[in-house]
Amino acid sequence: MLDQIWFPISITLWIAAVSSFLVLCSGVVIAYIFARRDFRGKELAELFVTLPLILPPTVIGYLLVILVGKNGFFGQLIYNVLGTGILFTWQAAVIAAYTVSLPLMVRTAQAAIEAVDKELEYAAYILGRTEIETALLITLPLAKRGILAGLVLSFARAVGEFGATLMLAGNIPGKTNTMSISIYSAFQAGNNELANILVLVLILISLLSIALTGKIVSRGKFEV
Amino acid sequence: MSVKVDLRKCYYETANNGKKESRKAFMLSISFEMENELVVVFGPSGSGKTTLFKCISGITEPDDGNITVDGKVYYNKDKKINLPIQKRNLGYVFQKYTLFPHMNVRKNIECGLKGWEKEDREERIREMLSLLRIEELGTRYPSQLSGGQNQRVALARALAPKPEILLLDEPFSALDMEIRTELAEKIKNFQNKIGIPLLFITHNLEEAFLLADKILVLHGGKAQQFGTPEEILFHPKNRNVAKLVGVSNIFDDAYVKEYDEKSKGTVLKSGDMRIKIKSMNFKAGEKVSWGIHPENITLLVHDSDSEDQNENIYSAHVNSIINKGPKKRITLKLVRHNKTLTAELPAQFVDSLKLHAGDLCLVKLEMSKVVVFYSF
Repeated sequence: MLDQIWFPISITLWIAAVSSFLVLCSGVVIAYIFARRDFRGKELAELFVTLPLILPPTVIGYLLVILVGKNGFFGQLIYNVLGTGILFTWQAAVIAAYTVSLPLMVRTAQAAIEAVDKELEYAAYILGRTEIETALLITLPLAKRGILAGLVLSFARAVGEFGATLMLAGNIPGKTNTMSISIYSAFQAGNNELANILVLVLILISLLSIALTGKIVSRGKFEV
Repeated sequence: MSVKVDLRKCYYETANNGKKESRKAFMLSISFEMENELVVVFGPSGSGKTTLFKCISGITEPDDGNITVDGKVYYNKDKKINLPIQKRNLGYVFQKYTLFPHMNVRKNIECGLKGWEKEDREERIREMLSLLRIEELGTRYPSQLSGGQNQRVALARALAPKPEILLLDEPFSALDMEIRTELAEKIKNFQNKIGIPLLFITHNLEEAFLLADKILVLHGGKAQQFGTPEEILFHPKNRNVAKLVGVSNIFDDAYVKEYDEKSKGTVLKSGDMRIKIKSMNFKAGEKVSWGIHPENITLLVHDSDSEDQNENIYSAHVNSIINKGPKKRITLKLVRHNKTLTAELPAQFVDSLKLHAGDLCLVKLEMSKVVVFYSF
């Protein structure tokens, strides 16, 4: 029983942590480019990144299976490199979590970066700083709160991910049975006790992330 | 060290009248050269002052022309040169406070000292802090500084990397008058010390005259006149410049009548009014406009010796007197000519004349104070 509770919690937190790390690295770069650069097809790219926010999870799961499955473009690439498929592994669950939580990060971080006064960036350029130095020294530190809020939201979204994960990683006990998937199967099997415990843990994690986001957003502009 | 600027750039001004927002296109067209001196860029809002700075600093690319600072080509359309901002080596102080809010004063200054050795950086920061007398502020954050301190730090930060030219975009506009004048005097003082060309934007006339070696007057994107404060004040080239330096009594109905050998002046005929001016650059028969600054009008008590057109003395009725604090604004209607003048004189002086609305008095337009320019 303990293992039945502990494994879903640990694998879920692990998947969410790895996914959030990837979301942080790539999301901030994408958000910066959206906020500060103009290029052809920018609106299309923004739409593409935001899409997972509104698409039904089954549709996302289905599209991801096509992409990273054995016959998909990325799937074949992975197979050639690793010699094995990626479907029904925890890595597949990370891909699902990443896809659905990336838009939350990009949206929040983009808004935060856009709110940074461009004149501060020009001031840094005039002082001889390159664009990358300026982003690291000025823009991102000033957009820190938005980026952190995006990170917490993404983590929470990854923890709760169900539909796409089920299609991509399945429900393999001891391998890919995340919390939300375990709740579903415990409920199906009539194991209410397990379902109750996992539901409680999930609610706690969600509450914690809401509180954390609120704290980050409401904190004074810059601590001095 | 010299600066050569010759550029053209289309820019937009957003005017907000009530609920409607309108965008108007202007053509910035400026050409001037300067040495190690302080040039004030003077003009009303929307005249392209900031656009000029953005072009020089590289924030905006001009449409055409070239910009050279100390032999270094910043921009040249024909040679397709547009040096990146980072390579231009200039100092820029913005109108708003643009200190980095998450860095303390020292870190702000250090930001421009990229590639310096650690000891050199420390030394330079100390030097800048003492140049601007802000040694005690090193560890403070921008939010803990007053407006005046903020701009001193901004100035220190701009000067730290030893720029080849310093651009100041209305740096004191958010400060109160006292600090403003103090900082302006400070800038004037250390301009000699730092020995680089300095461009200073303002739309404040007093500030312009307090600081300038030369003034570049802009209006609607066009450079109107470039010269010393005296030239701008007493020999405005056109109506725009005259109005900008405060000449409000302007009359367009004049022509040059003759040169008067005796008083070494030129006689204008403005309607039925004869008026003498000092300038001798005009030829008989030329159509001109003339004007006089409200503060340069002299009032005399009306007594026996009345009008004397050879001395530019005319009798006038006082239409109204408006109190403007230390000054009074008096509207004067010339008795024998269909013209109304506005004078602005020290309240004390007006009181001593015991003038009231309806009184008769004598107006004297000092020959050397009358400005004349071609009407167009």
